[in-house]
Order: sequence, then C-alpha cells, then structure tokens
Amino acid sequence: MRLGVVRGSVVLSLAVPELQGLRLAIVEPITRERLASRGSLGGGKPIVAADQLGAGAGQVVGFVEGRTASNPFWPGKVPVDAYCALIAENIDYHPPGKTKSAVRKASS
Amino acid sequence: MFLARIDGTVTATVKHETLAGLRLLIGQRLEADGAPSGDPLVLVDTLGARHGSTVMVTTDNESLRKAVGNTTPARLLVAGIVDQVFQEGTR
Repeated sequence: MRLGVVRGSVVLSLAVPELQGLRLAIVEPITRERLASRGSLGGGKPIVAADQLGAGAGQVVGFVEGRTASNPFWPGKVPVDAYCALIAENIDYHPPGKTKSAVRKASS
Repeated sequence: MFLARIDGTVTATVKHETLAGLRLLIGQRLEADGAPSGDPLVLVDTLGARHGSTVMVTTDNESLRKAVGNTTPARLLVAGIVDQVFQEGTR
C-alpha cells in the first residue's frame, strides 16, 4: 500500500456491470521526497482507484495496487487493480538524515 | 520479500473494516547498499517493529487474509525484524 492524495474522481457513462455504482477516485501517489519535505504532498503519476470510503479531494489515502485490490469484492470477481484502503488522519514520518519532518495532518 | 526501514506510522479512523485494530507503519524499501528505493509504503505490523528498525516485508497476502479475512486489500506485512544482514561484495 502506498500513500496518495485524492485529486478528483471519475464518472463512467458506460461500464462493465461489475464496476457500475463504484466510486472511482483519482489518486496522486506521494513520493519519498514530497513526504519528507514540508511542501505539498503528491509527486507521483496519478492513477484511478476504487473508493468505498468516500475520500474527498485533498485527503490522503492508503491505496493498494495489484491483484489484492479486488479482495474487498471477494468472492465476486471485479476488474479493479487499485483500491483505497484507508483515509490517513495523521502521518508521523521521520526518515533518517537531514530532513526533520514531524507529525503532519494528513491533508494537502 | 524485501528489506525495509521503518520511518514512521500512519493513523486512520476511516479504513477498510479488515484493517481495524492493526498497527500501520510507514516503511522504506531498501536497496542492497541500504539506499532507499521507491515511494514510502504502508505496512501492517503485528510484531511491534520500532522506528528505525530494519524489517523483512512479505508481499504475499495469504497470511493477512487468514488473520483478518478474505476481503482484506492489504498485502504488505512485516514478516520479521532483521537482526543482521550478511552480504558479500558490497560496502
């Protein structure tokens, strides 16, 4: 699971039956450099992730990628390969080295 | 499986039901020379890894599915806390 900032959502006019009614969020992954800096979060290549938590724009989510992203729909088979598993409240990040990044409220 | 360094923690109230009560850490995957590799990762920890410790992470989610249910999307689990790494040809 990586961390990402919700930048928006996608609405489909036509979709395979398994995806109908599913909320799709646009998530910009958070890079190491951006998480360690005090600036805005993000920096990665945005992806579309299924969201059942109702994450709004600017919120930080933990999203999973790959086959396990469709586990929440188990035993159904749903063509989802990215899924928002949590909405982060607080991120306490202290990598070693010069950066002194402290606890940050998880909003961008 | 790969090695990672624990750089922090994440708290979340709103999350997938299978993640309730689990300890979530921020891990940094490491290269063979100890350099960081890739974006920070959110790991599930049941062993009590501490900040700064090196851990071994498994990307197989079968053990998590067994522990918290088949519907869990989480995959990265702290499978062990590293004591020592023996390696030839580097450093």
